[in-house]
Amino acid sequence: MFTTGSKYYIALSALASVAIAVYLIFVGPSSIGATALFGMIAATGLLAGLALYTRDSDTESPTGAQAASAAPSASMWPVVSVLGAVVLLLGTVTTPIVFVLGIVVLATSFVEWVVQAWSERASGDVTYNDSVRKRILNPIEYPVLATVGLGVVIVSFSRVMLAIDKSAGAVAFIVVASVVLLAGILFATRPGLKRGLVTGICIVGAVGLVAAGIASGGAGLREDLEMAAEEGHYMHRECGPEKSKYGDKLALESVSGKSSVIATIEYVDGKLVANVQGVNGPQESVTIPRSNPSNILFRNKTEGEFRLVAHLGERAVTDGVVEKVELCTQLIPEGAEQFLTLTIPKPALDKPYTLEVAGVDGQSIEVVVP
Amino acid sequence: MPSRVHRGLSLSVATVALTSCASNAPQDTWAPKGPNAQIIDDLQKPVFAVAGIIGLIVAVAVGYAIYKFKDRGQPIPEQTHGKPALEITLTIIPALILTVIGVFTFRTVFDLSKTSDTEMVINVTGQQWWWEYDYPVQEEFGITKPIITSGQLVIPAGTKVLLRQTSRDVIHSYWIPALNGKRDAVPGRVHTNRIEADEPGIYAGQCTEFCGLSHANMRMEAVALSKADFAKWVEGQLAEYKSPAEGTLAKEGEGVFVNQCVRCHQVNGLKRADGTPIIAAPDENIVSGAAPNLSHLMSRNTFAGAMFDLLTEECRKEVWGADSASFGEKYLAGVSEDCLNQSDLRGWLRNAPEMKPMYANPALLANTGGKYRGMPNLGLTESDIEKLVAYLLTLK
Repeated sequence: MFTTGSKYYIALSALASVAIAVYLIFVGPSSIGATALFGMIAATGLLAGLALYTRDSDTESPTGAQAASAAPSASMWPVVSVLGAVVLLLGTVTTPIVFVLGIVVLATSFVEWVVQAWSERASGDVTYNDSVRKRILNPIEYPVLATVGLGVVIVSFSRVMLAIDKSAGAVAFIVVASVVLLAGILFATRPGLKRGLVTGICIVGAVGLVAAGIASGGAGLREDLEMAAEEGHYMHRECGPEKSKYGDKLALESVSGKSSVIATIEYVDGKLVANVQGVNGPQESVTIPRSNPSNILFRNKTEGEFRLVAHLGERAVTDGVVEKVELCTQLIPEGAEQFLTLTIPKPALDKPYTLEVAGVDGQSIEVVVP
Repeated sequence: MPSRVHRGLSLSVATVALTSCASNAPQDTWAPKGPNAQIIDDLQKPVFAVAGIIGLIVAVAVGYAIYKFKDRGQPIPEQTHGKPALEITLTIIPALILTVIGVFTFRTVFDLSKTSDTEMVINVTGQQWWWEYDYPVQEEFGITKPIITSGQLVIPAGTKVLLRQTSRDVIHSYWIPALNGKRDAVPGRVHTNRIEADEPGIYAGQCTEFCGLSHANMRMEAVALSKADFAKWVEGQLAEYKSPAEGTLAKEGEGVFVNQCVRCHQVNGLKRADGTPIIAAPDENIVSGAAPNLSHLMSRNTFAGAMFDLLTEECRKEVWGADSASFGEKYLAGVSEDCLNQSDLRGWLRNAPEMKPMYANPALLANTGGKYRGMPNLGLTESDIEKLVAYLLTLK
């Protein structure tokens, strides 16, 4: 009654049903996970129905009959599928990333397994069947493997660069780049090199890099990056004595900040100047929308260390007690720059909001909140 | 040819033809009304023409091949693989066409991103589901204090206006087809967008980045006025707040406004009984941290993110249909009691979420800290609504 194909899809559907039960019990009704598993049940159910209805597309073709009678070849995909299922189940009780990894492994092995099984029934010619499989899967396999390989190299190398000292990082970068270049030159100029030797060199290099990446990942970030992360932000927001040694160290935040500056405030030869994006010429005021985080970039172009202070009115602490609302950059030397992110919920009442350089009188930029 | 095929073809042609027959198409992308939209139009028309011709050639060639070589039981012709000369030719020709288009496209992109010739700057902030416009101080246009408005962007015609766009919550996209292309408004970023209208008039637009439940209702209108009329508009926006006369229904409405609406809506100049100015606190009540500033509300023609008209249909037709010479006068007349769209305004005050889909029930939302997305149902009585409408009519 049940065809081979339908049994396969029914089994998949049953497996997905078990997975969703486990998922709902241990993870909860997450819409993404539940939707994915319900989708799998629906898809495999549909395919099972189709396989039953079409009797596995059984034909009277002599080659088909010949192919169907041949024993299937050995395949690693059943084992990989089981591994994927185990990882998926582990994911339900550990972290979502493991669960997603399980789905990826499972989905990949299913696709590979299905195409392999199908291609082995394509004809009675084993070589032709193999070429059919390659024609379908190689255009997917090669880019995916290349992407994964590249990703592993990038992640491993970046872990190393984040763990070691900045100067050592430059040296490591030069050494690794030189080794890669030399290996490339060697392979290009000696086409007669034994295949095993080339493969060996590549494997040793890859394993070495991945091992270094794992070791570096375990060692963690270098001290200044770790301290910057602990401070919570690359910006120094407090206006009191300097506490931060590691401001401006987190490159990622610095880049994102620089890409969205509402105004640049420059302290040039003792004068405070505002440049507003899209507005020509220096400005005496900066308009920012209320309740909207807006990045102000402070650039010191005067000899000495200075900080920008944002005077943002007062707020009630308790009944009858008010305190000034101020935000500051760090003291920064000539040529340096730092951000302030201002989120001002209400317009100024009596006194306008201003940006000033601490210790410098008579220079101020008005912050207008309409 | 069978009659079924004839019918199908006729229907397709008729459908295509009918799509170009809309008489009221304020967001027509093929009708530029300003130099920036004109630059885009100058690029897109030749590109569409070239693409259309190529599409036609391909369709005819495919049709010919299908008809000429259809299976009539003839033997399968000899199969060949590869014809380098033909393949190279068919690669080079499209590459050349794309290169030419690319050159003009890049020139257009750079022209549209220019800011050096800006004459006026307006900050545009998007949030679910309305646009806020604030005009920084620009003495040359008589703007001596910041002006803040919403729904309708008012600009002087024939002036190069630079919009500095951002967003308070999710990504939105600002698009007034008659004046320029689309430009995203992204939280934490400021994107510039040039617009300029050749003639006075109203130009409709629409948010074009899906931004939540009422994305389709997040509209905008750019109102271009002659320079003289724009100066009058600025004067009106800078006018001091006038509290309604004591003993009037509007005065009672002011009281209702102070008790209910100022939690989110600012009216510049409104004061408490003790004389202290009232500053609205939308940051404490709304996820985006802002609600439309209602100062001079009745100088606008729309409300609720330009979804509803403040003018009745007849009065709106008069403004939209006015020629460019008389448009300014009609627009600046604002909303009178006779022209007020009482039905929609009262409906809005009665139950806003019923009129515009909004996540207005914080109990149904996660992670909002009890804040609203959009205007909630305030449960106002009919008497309160009567008073509020009378008060809002005074905000000119």
